[in-house]
Amino acid sequence: MTDAAQSGAIRAVPNLQSADRFWPVAERVIGYVLLSFAALATITPFLWMVSTSFKTDAETFQFPPNFIPNSLLWQNYIDAIAGPDTGRQLINSLVYALGSTVSNMVFCALAGYALARMQFKGRNVIFALVVGLLMVPAQSQIVPVFLIVQKIPFAGGNDWLGNGGTGLLNTYWGMILPTAATPFGIFMMRQFFSRIPIEYEESARLDGAKPFTIFWRILLPLARPAMAVLGVLSFQSAWNDFIWPLILTSQREMATLQIGLQLLQSGPDARWNVVMAMATLITLPIIIVFLFAQRYVIDGAVTSGVKG
Amino acid sequence: MALQSSTVAGQRPQSFTQNWSAYAFLAPALIILFLSLLLPAAGTLVMSLTDISFLRPTNFVWFDNYLKLFADGRFRQAMGNTAYYTVGVTFPTMVLGLLAAVALNGRFRGRIVFRTIFYLPVLTSLIAAAVVWMYVYEPYSGPINGALAQMGLPPQPWLQSPNLAMTSLIVMAIWRDFGTAMIIYLAGLQDIPSDIYEAARLDGAKTRDIFLRITVPMLSSVTFYLMIILIVQTFQVFGAIYVMTNGGPLGSTETIVFQMYQTAFGYTEFGYAAAMSTVLFVAILLFSIVGTKIMRRGES
Repeated sequence: MTDAAQSGAIRAVPNLQSADRFWPVAERVIGYVLLSFAALATITPFLWMVSTSFKTDAETFQFPPNFIPNSLLWQNYIDAIAGPDTGRQLINSLVYALGSTVSNMVFCALAGYALARMQFKGRNVIFALVVGLLMVPAQSQIVPVFLIVQKIPFAGGNDWLGNGGTGLLNTYWGMILPTAATPFGIFMMRQFFSRIPIEYEESARLDGAKPFTIFWRILLPLARPAMAVLGVLSFQSAWNDFIWPLILTSQREMATLQIGLQLLQSGPDARWNVVMAMATLITLPIIIVFLFAQRYVIDGAVTSGVKG
Repeated sequence: MALQSSTVAGQRPQSFTQNWSAYAFLAPALIILFLSLLLPAAGTLVMSLTDISFLRPTNFVWFDNYLKLFADGRFRQAMGNTAYYTVGVTFPTMVLGLLAAVALNGRFRGRIVFRTIFYLPVLTSLIAAAVVWMYVYEPYSGPINGALAQMGLPPQPWLQSPNLAMTSLIVMAIWRDFGTAMIIYLAGLQDIPSDIYEAARLDGAKTRDIFLRITVPMLSSVTFYLMIILIVQTFQVFGAIYVMTNGGPLGSTETIVFQMYQTAFGYTEFGYAAAMSTVLFVAILLFSIVGTKIMRRGES
């Protein structure tokens, strides 16, 4: 695969001898063949998912399986959507993903701006704390987070000591709150705000603008690309989240689409074609969001991650 | 007066107002970080010294959980499985990501299409991916065994065999992760000045030598950054295992987080699960620190 890279770079160098002219062409062909093979291997599971989602029940059990289905059966999609809990699960997933996205964008931008641009006591300590928390593996903290959410005072029948009730278990608040701001989001926004020239704020400050006005009117519009990245990453991580909703929700009506898909697949009368239709439907929103924000996301993921 | 003194960034705080608004800006995020990471991290440590459970009143048992943990054959197996999974996923992912990035760094027709295809699995919901791969690995109607049958080879019980199940999960994880590695390597490649390549080429250096002597060394800090991300991430694998194998067959795919989940929410042994979390946390922390140290040395 290195051949393709070379053929890309080699164009800058003039080819004087005829032997040189042959090799770049051959390398280019080999490069395309290798890349196409890798791309095919990568995309095959998706194609298989979509192909199976159109098959009849009988065709899904056929061996060896057909790659291109004999039928184009939309009924599987209808069956997937018409499941008794699917509508509810869609709403739950949307509330969780959008709630987590919006709160991350607001809270991380505010905190990132304060850490980048404001002077206050404890600034370095707080920034060091945020960087330190980047290293805490969230997955390994899931047990105490569960207990904290259960013990939130005055929620879900709890007394002021957090005893007696169920706290925020089985609620949207409980789902969103622990994901409403992340060290990564704060860090990324801080890095972004640090790079905006100070002159933008200075004239507004001389005109007597308050900190929040400066943030809202001047800095935030400049931060649109960073906000897009943060938004897409937050949406993606909440929409795709599995372990947290699984632990937090014991009631069927609070399950998200991810849990719904797992239940559909592990159910006693699971049908592969309907499961694949559901998987296709769950995957689509993420791909659509990504295609709209592609440029921002790839550039942003790259700059915030490595060059930060 | 206060306004004038605050116009220059980098000056010491002078006005109470400015201090106050900075804390107001930070408060929501800090409260959430406190409740979702800081307090839980401290809580895990304390809980790991107790026998907290829904089943009985809590007692301090000090290091009993840890002693029990290292004598526990199941936990040792889980540690071994986690290490195997982490190594098995991290290195191939990095190699494939690097090759893809180098191949897609030049300007040629279709590179955006290739990039998007390679990045697609990263975006997919883990559970959707897990369910699709369960079907891909299906012994009786899945495409892999279908292809094997067409070549006249016997079908394999991919996820049902203790010898193959973990490897099957690793293959799927590589498929999902190498797009991440590619993106990060692409960023690293863009930072390498192009005149180094031009000079090497004018001196008549071969493609392979350029790759091994310029590209790979210039990417070393990116490589370590990526390695740490991947190790931290793969150490915590849970969703795919919960959906695809449920730890089986014969515990061959039980990892630390999976066992922690079962111990806490299956047997409500929160104290014992907290000790598992702490071991995992320390392992990840050690990797991060060692990795960062090596990275710093590589840069200087």
